[in-house]
Amino acid sequence: MKMEDMSLSGLDNTKLEALAQDIYSDLVEDACLGLCFEVHRAVKQGYFFLDDTDQESMKDFEIVDQPGVDIFGQVYNQWKNKECVCPNCNRSIAASRFAPHLEKCLGMGRNSSRIANRRIASSNNMNNKSESDQEDNDDVNDNDWSYGSEKKAKKRKSDKNPNSPRRSKSVKHKNALLGSKPCCRSGSSMHAVER
Amino acid sequence: MSKDSKMRATINQKLTEMGERERLKELLRSKLTECGWRDQLKAHCKDVIKEKGLEHVTVEDLVVEITPKGRVLVPDSVKKELLQRIRAFLAQHAT
Repeated sequence: MKMEDMSLSGLDNTKLEALAQDIYSDLVEDACLGLCFEVHRAVKQGYFFLDDTDQESMKDFEIVDQPGVDIFGQVYNQWKNKECVCPNCNRSIAASRFAPHLEKCLGMGRNSSRIANRRIASSNNMNNKSESDQEDNDDVNDNDWSYGSEKKAKKRKSDKNPNSPRRSKSVKHKNALLGSKPCCRSGSSMHAVER
Repeated sequence: MSKDSKMRATINQKLTEMGERERLKELLRSKLTECGWRDQLKAHCKDVIKEKGLEHVTVEDLVVEITPKGRVLVPDSVKKELLQRIRAFLAQHAT
């Protein structure tokens, strides 16, 4: 026979409710005391009034709540409808399309070299059958550097796992420089566009 | 009455041992912060401090000024929620 059980079962609802109120009261008092201690320490350590600035500065940095403007008061879609003139081809391009357009127009950037190579490869194919079929398989899956990349569209299934870093290093590197890829591009003679 | 006080002691002990008291404390703190109670009281603290002087204010001063106001300022929804949880705990562990 447990002493605990005897005393606990002797409870009625009013007593339980009173107990609940007391527990709640204790918790609230705890929270209040916590705050008092925090504040008192902040006062004695000297950092209580630290975030009070004068009224003028407070006004300067108030949160802005107007339409079309962010909370700092800056316009954020200011450049949506602007148009820029491309210095290369002298066309008027929308601002958000300007950077990709420049990439292609000036012949710089990853995509433009890929497109150029693709054009060359397709023009080669039209002239003669490409002998480098086997090797191109590997190059197709190379992200940065590929020639004969029009085969990407046909997605040839080879037995090799396209993601494995070690692919057969056959006669692949006819033109390309061995080693780090980013520097390859400038060394290549495959570019159709003059820089 | 000693049966009751024994019972109360037991329950309080359970409350602490099972971690429920800590959880309730945390819950209360976060709710009070969310609803702006802390900021309200802090502002009141500023007044007290300015009145008593920055150098001379004591913990006692703050406690005496802040606690009654703090009790009153707790929003009803927070009070209800806490009481609900306490009652649920009691229902589970006191009968």
